[in-house]
Amino acid sequence: MSKLLVVPSNIDEINKTKSLCDGYIIGIDGMSIGTNMLIRDLSILKSINDKDIFISLNKNMHNSDLDKLESILIELNNYNIKGVLYYDIAVMNIYRRHSFNYELVWNQEHAVTNYNTINYWYDFGVNYAYLSSDITEDEIVTISKKCKSKLIINVFGYLPMFVSKRHIVKNYLGYFNLCDSSKINYISKEGKKYPIVDNDLGTICYSNNILNGLESYVNVKASYYVLNSFNIEANKFIEVLKIFKKSNKKNFQECNNEIYSLFSNIDSGFLNKKTIYKVKK
Amino acid sequence: MKKKPELLAPAGDLERLKIALLYGADAVYIGGPNLNLRANAINFTIDEIKEGVSFAHSLNKKVYVTVNILLHNEELDIIDNYLKELEECNIDAIIVSDPIIVKEALSKTKLQVHLSTQASTTNIETCKFFKEQNVSRIVLARECTKEEIKDIIDNVDIEIETFIHGAMCAGYSGRCVLSNFLTNRDANRGGCSQICRWDFDLLNEDGLEIKGDKPFTFCSKDLSLLRYLPDMIDMGISSFKIEGRMRSVYYIATVVSIYRKAIDEYCNNKDSYTYNKEYEKILRQCANRDSVPQFFNGVYDYTCSYYNGREEISNQDFLGIVINYDGYNKIATIEQRNYFKTGDTVEFFGPNHDTITYKINEIYDENNDIIDIVRHPKQIIKMKVENELEKYDMMRIKVVDKTKKM
Repeated sequence: MSKLLVVPSNIDEINKTKSLCDGYIIGIDGMSIGTNMLIRDLSILKSINDKDIFISLNKNMHNSDLDKLESILIELNNYNIKGVLYYDIAVMNIYRRHSFNYELVWNQEHAVTNYNTINYWYDFGVNYAYLSSDITEDEIVTISKKCKSKLIINVFGYLPMFVSKRHIVKNYLGYFNLCDSSKINYISKEGKKYPIVDNDLGTICYSNNILNGLESYVNVKASYYVLNSFNIEANKFIEVLKIFKKSNKKNFQECNNEIYSLFSNIDSGFLNKKTIYKVKK
Repeated sequence: MKKKPELLAPAGDLERLKIALLYGADAVYIGGPNLNLRANAINFTIDEIKEGVSFAHSLNKKVYVTVNILLHNEELDIIDNYLKELEECNIDAIIVSDPIIVKEALSKTKLQVHLSTQASTTNIETCKFFKEQNVSRIVLARECTKEEIKDIIDNVDIEIETFIHGAMCAGYSGRCVLSNFLTNRDANRGGCSQICRWDFDLLNEDGLEIKGDKPFTFCSKDLSLLRYLPDMIDMGISSFKIEGRMRSVYYIATVVSIYRKAIDEYCNNKDSYTYNKEYEKILRQCANRDSVPQFFNGVYDYTCSYYNGREEISNQDFLGIVINYDGYNKIATIEQRNYFKTGDTVEFFGPNHDTITYKINEIYDENNDIIDIVRHPKQIIKMKVENELEKYDMMRIKVVDKTKKM
């Protein structure tokens, strides 16, 4: 059965969405990027252990992170979590030295683009693959047919398109002696606005449009479908969840229209648009 | 002192491959006809790879081929044949980021595999994993500091390659798809359209513009680790990589020759080695962009950012390349690359002699008629030069005179 996973912004949002989703993706302070809700005290996980909980440890790990990382992976085994999302191979390499109760999710954002590489990681004990949002629905369908892993697919929210260790916004402000304390900034080009967040771990920049992947939700078989509340008004996010919850192949068009009516900057991302890599001469 | 490191240079085509090796690179990395991250470059055909390998091996040097895209389903079918073709070219290694290519290459061919910087390897654990998979070398992420590189070398018995010079990505390699979203060109499959160099307006959370004297950009200054070369050699880094498969012959020749000299000077006599500021000056002028040590010394603040409002000036230092030298009559035949004229003072540099300063007295065209100005791209001219030159020597503006000319 298809399950909805929410990337919540805070505990309040968890409380308001519990009846509308099956689980959450939560980050850990200092170890996660682009995960809205960051926790320090893992015991908070006990309050939501009736849901499928995935912990995102998706930063690029440097040597100084490794001890803390291993401690967290060990401590997480004391909680009833479903899995850990990782970007850096260090997570997987530490994981396989232990026998934890939870599973691993290969979550290298833009690299999870073909079934053979997914199967490569599966052979190392990585049971889930969180697919890239840069591939088409046709590619997702092919992957779903040919890979051994369980799949997680993004279906709603702003998409990360740039991650840096650099403080790109703070550097600009510092260089030109400018003051600003915005939690979220935007960069603008040709009328399009891209959210950009500069925090302790560096900078992450998001797509200007919100992904609406309802089509994939009703058409493609996956274990989990992810909806991210980053930069989305709380009431609208709940509306979106309700729409996803009730949608099916029969009422797809009606539900899809409802989602599009809620936002002016929304599209289907790359689901129906193939990227090119060789410019025609 | 540890083993002398390899100097690894980029080569966008056969000419640049030869230039890089003749000017002192120990190895070059090139793109083949498929699966590399410069999809819109000319790249090498299989026959050209064979010719390049033959040339390199004749000098006891090496050729590595980048196979470093992140694969989509549609590319999976061509991997095996392509890897076999590369194996038949007798190349020395492939540079890979998608682990499925690591597996295919090591299980089905005899190719050596280097893990690309595109994989953004930044720690000991990841290096240990790929060593276990029989990868023979890891190109570390450019985000690694000196201490991190040293820790990795001290804890994992694998060849480590790091960048020493060239352009920098603004983000972690592999985690930037600005190009996909803004131009629909796939950054991780060779289509990067360098959005990081675009200008943007920066807005606060209320949508109001935050305006500095120059526009907001992601752009970083270039990397230059010339000053840190002794540290890097002593740490035991196996290979020093110069960025830039799209760079010109002049850039390749200049950067390779400077690093060649610096590495040799340090390795040949560590005690008497002194940092040569002239080298730094030549490198800076050649790239025409500011360069800093970036993450190597742990500083990645605004001093590493590049706010120039897109006002880069193209480099016009490179005046010509020697295509022949008649030793008997002391006549150099030169192919023009930038404007020069009678009376200019120029420099010749090459892999086998010191820099020669020369004042141009007379210039002849191909019909042996005297001309005063050489203004046509790739125009062939002749000049009498007393000092012996060689094919592939370069003629440039006299470095100290550059400010006057500009």
